[in-house]
Amino acid sequence: MLDTLIAGLLRGNVYALGAVGISLVFGVMNVVNFAQFSFFGLGAMLSWFFIVKIGLPFWLALIVVLAICGALGLLINVTVVRPLAKYLPLAAMLSTYAISLILDNASQMAFSAQFRVFPDVLPTSNLHIGNMRFGTSDVVMLGTTAVIMIVMTLFLKYGKVGRAIRATAQDQEAALQMGIPVGQVQHVSFVIASALGGLAGVFIALYVGVANPTSGLDVGLTAFVAATLGGLGSLVGAVIGGFVLGVLEAFGIHFFGDTAREIIVFVILIVVLIVRPGGLLGKVPLVSSEPLTGTFLGKGRPIRIPRWVWLAAFVVGGVVIPLVANDYVLTTGTQVLIYAIIAAGFTVTAGQAGVMALGQAGPIAIGAYTSALLSLYLHFPFWVALPVAGIVAAVVASILASPIWGVKGHYISIATLGLGIAIVAVIQLVLPQGLYNIPVPEWFGTPLNTPQAYYLIDFGVLVLTLLVMWRIRRSHLGKVISSVGSDEVAALASGVRGRNYKALSFAVSGFFAGIGGSLLAHQYTYIDPTIFTMLMSLLVVTIVILGGINLPYGAVIGAIVLIGAMELLRFTPELRIIVYGLVLILAVRFRPGGILVKNA
Amino acid sequence: MKKLLRGAAVVSVASLTIVGLAACASDSAASTDSSSGKSTVYFGVSAATTGQYAQYGEQFKEAFDLAVEQVNAKGGIDGHPVALKYEDSQSDPKQSVAVAQKFVGDDSISLVFGDYSSAASIPASPIYTAGKLLQYGFNNSNPDFTAKGTQYQWSTSITTSATYTWTADYIKKQGIDSVGVSYLNTADWGIPAFDAFKAEAKKVGLKITDAEGVLDTSDDYRPSLTKAVAGKPEAFVHIGYGPDAAKIVTQLRAIGYDKTFYGGQDEESFDGTKDAEGAINGAEFLASNPAKEVQDFVKAFKKKYPQETEVTGFEAGAYDALNVAVAAAKIGGTSREGILAGFKKVKDVPSVVYGKITFDQSTRRVASPQLTPSILKDGSWVAYNG
Repeated sequence: MLDTLIAGLLRGNVYALGAVGISLVFGVMNVVNFAQFSFFGLGAMLSWFFIVKIGLPFWLALIVVLAICGALGLLINVTVVRPLAKYLPLAAMLSTYAISLILDNASQMAFSAQFRVFPDVLPTSNLHIGNMRFGTSDVVMLGTTAVIMIVMTLFLKYGKVGRAIRATAQDQEAALQMGIPVGQVQHVSFVIASALGGLAGVFIALYVGVANPTSGLDVGLTAFVAATLGGLGSLVGAVIGGFVLGVLEAFGIHFFGDTAREIIVFVILIVVLIVRPGGLLGKVPLVSSEPLTGTFLGKGRPIRIPRWVWLAAFVVGGVVIPLVANDYVLTTGTQVLIYAIIAAGFTVTAGQAGVMALGQAGPIAIGAYTSALLSLYLHFPFWVALPVAGIVAAVVASILASPIWGVKGHYISIATLGLGIAIVAVIQLVLPQGLYNIPVPEWFGTPLNTPQAYYLIDFGVLVLTLLVMWRIRRSHLGKVISSVGSDEVAALASGVRGRNYKALSFAVSGFFAGIGGSLLAHQYTYIDPTIFTMLMSLLVVTIVILGGINLPYGAVIGAIVLIGAMELLRFTPELRIIVYGLVLILAVRFRPGGILVKNA
Repeated sequence: MKKLLRGAAVVSVASLTIVGLAACASDSAASTDSSSGKSTVYFGVSAATTGQYAQYGEQFKEAFDLAVEQVNAKGGIDGHPVALKYEDSQSDPKQSVAVAQKFVGDDSISLVFGDYSSAASIPASPIYTAGKLLQYGFNNSNPDFTAKGTQYQWSTSITTSATYTWTADYIKKQGIDSVGVSYLNTADWGIPAFDAFKAEAKKVGLKITDAEGVLDTSDDYRPSLTKAVAGKPEAFVHIGYGPDAAKIVTQLRAIGYDKTFYGGQDEESFDGTKDAEGAINGAEFLASNPAKEVQDFVKAFKKKYPQETEVTGFEAGAYDALNVAVAAAKIGGTSREGILAGFKKVKDVPSVVYGKITFDQSTRRVASPQLTPSILKDGSWVAYNG
């Protein structure tokens, strides 16, 4: 037991260090910063490079790494995040995701993807309590966390810049009116956070022993949960969250095994958020609408689309392409169509109801598994399994999500992100083996397994999806859902129970996610849990934001750009992801409301 | 300034599109130009050059390029030079399926290597089968890749079940009666491997005191490991890859367990880990193997890639794979059907991994592959006669 407790404290310390940076940026910028994850991996690889390849002593290398990470942070904030965060936190969040892709891949090109042995700069197992050994490195790390916490607390309490940071975190506009240079405060916070991210990365690598450019992702995600658990924006909360999560996680793993780790982490998070919707130390957010979307609906106007365009698009997409295109284009096309279906369904939740749910991989996986199991073991025909998959995904996802609708603001995004990961983790626990030989769709005995047939099925489903979405938007129900998204307090005052409508729109999105999952399963004919990753959830969100968060047909454009572009960029394999990230940033920069939305 | 930026954005996106389209167009152009006058034979490679598995994609590419160079220097396939077309799948099934379709649609491709992970290979299999294009998953150790595939799926990788059946036998023969186990809880690899180990351990009377499923994405295994060694097993087995084994062995020593560690992989991060010294596993390929073929390969590889300090089973497997494909094409011809016919006939292909490769036609894998007990000493694996 004591061993487990110590193991928990050691890992909790790593999370705490990571969580402080995340909480700091969130506090002053109100932006969920995915790029922070990349700084963990980058910090580890840079210090490996300076110590092993250049031969710098550890302390000097550490300073250089912190300086580089801080400078990169400044560059990112000046060029990308701040210009967008000023008026669109949503676009800023998307751009941090793009930056994270660029950083990871640049680091991979520089250092290669190889796992490296991290140099033994500090003893890692020279001390022990009972059987559990630990090293000077752990003590140093613990001390560093303590020192950083004390310095940060004093700095925020008494320092001039520190007080400006707090003021900005409390009320950006008021701070600006009081003459605080909010822009510079944000730069400073970003630099500190990025440097802390790099530092955490160095310690993680030291603790784990090996590192590669993407190895910080998992710790980063957990640190992010720790920051949320403590209350986003609260630094003390971040540290407490880190240690609480580390210890509970260690005991959870002891009793349920490492395979249940993600479930443990997110169950803890969701339970805490239900009991304390603002995290352990955070205040319950007073914002009436989701800060990522609320202010956003009023900005920009969808581009008017003449009727003949619809007809032309239908003819090109449904007749010309299947007749003319080769199998490769058609296969890429099926991927585009399936993601367009999922994303179009998701616009009800993200756009109309204003809930930026980040865990769509969960319902997609439920749909895929339901459909696969029904047709494999109960011999349901595809055409029956498909709608059933949608219904099961909608029902299960709604039941699981039902406790979290009282949670507000960014917390709901993180809770749904956790939900998505936890659903897939449960599937992995129950059905770790992949499912093979999933039957392909048939039409009276004829197997429809050519790329052309898949394409046409997906196209048909997409057209139906868009029709349903169009009907929902024009109905009374649709207007009510939109009212919840635009101004929840006003809606509540008019007698609309926002909570229920959020749950309903989540169910609708879950249905289409399940349909999409079913289509994927029958076309791959093989599924396993590694397919339904967090990246899949983020891809859905990215597609929706890029196309126009409130426009179901925008999702089609988003899917064409994001999935089509990946294929188009094949001519430059090394730079593929980097160019993809740049294109994403440029698109968001000049069309922050979505490609089909004119700037206001 | 803003206008300028916007202009730049438009131009860059537009030019990207054009270059992309141009790239697609040039791909489909017939490729008959070559110095010898005979048409080039193209093999496709579906692997990760970016993303999580890029490390292995790099290793494969180095070995493939070396093998192609050597084959062409010796006159190619009956005078036809060999060339490879690489496509990045990130070992992501979403992309490996599209890559498969692209290769099937490209008539110049007569065989495809890959993908790296079974999770990416298996979803692509039906497409290769429908396109009558041979999918050579030379690295796919998941038995299902071939067992549930068709005559178009072949592999020269030893299956995980064979490896870990051997491991259980070997440990028992070392006079060890109980082991603690950790295994990767992954559908395509760790679980079938552990099942094979467990079945064999039961058969030979090797007691498993505790088995913990772990994820390779985790960084801290101490809570699992304290539990796994609580029953004081006589040795520890990790069923997994190199980087996770490096973390496991380090943390196993950190919690005070000092018995023999069976596991790990010939891979840079594991080989360089201090606590990994003395780890034992069954190796398919040993760079220290004195056989002439192996030493020639290691020498040529280090000459071409002086920055690489290690030559591992990944490079060796890819190197062998290309030679097997060339041998098959020499027998059956360079068309898709010819290569398939060649795979059904090819025999005793010189191999740096197995000595000689002959397929078991019923499993479409190497007939009776042998493993060599090996131990990690001073950062490199050597044969072990303990």
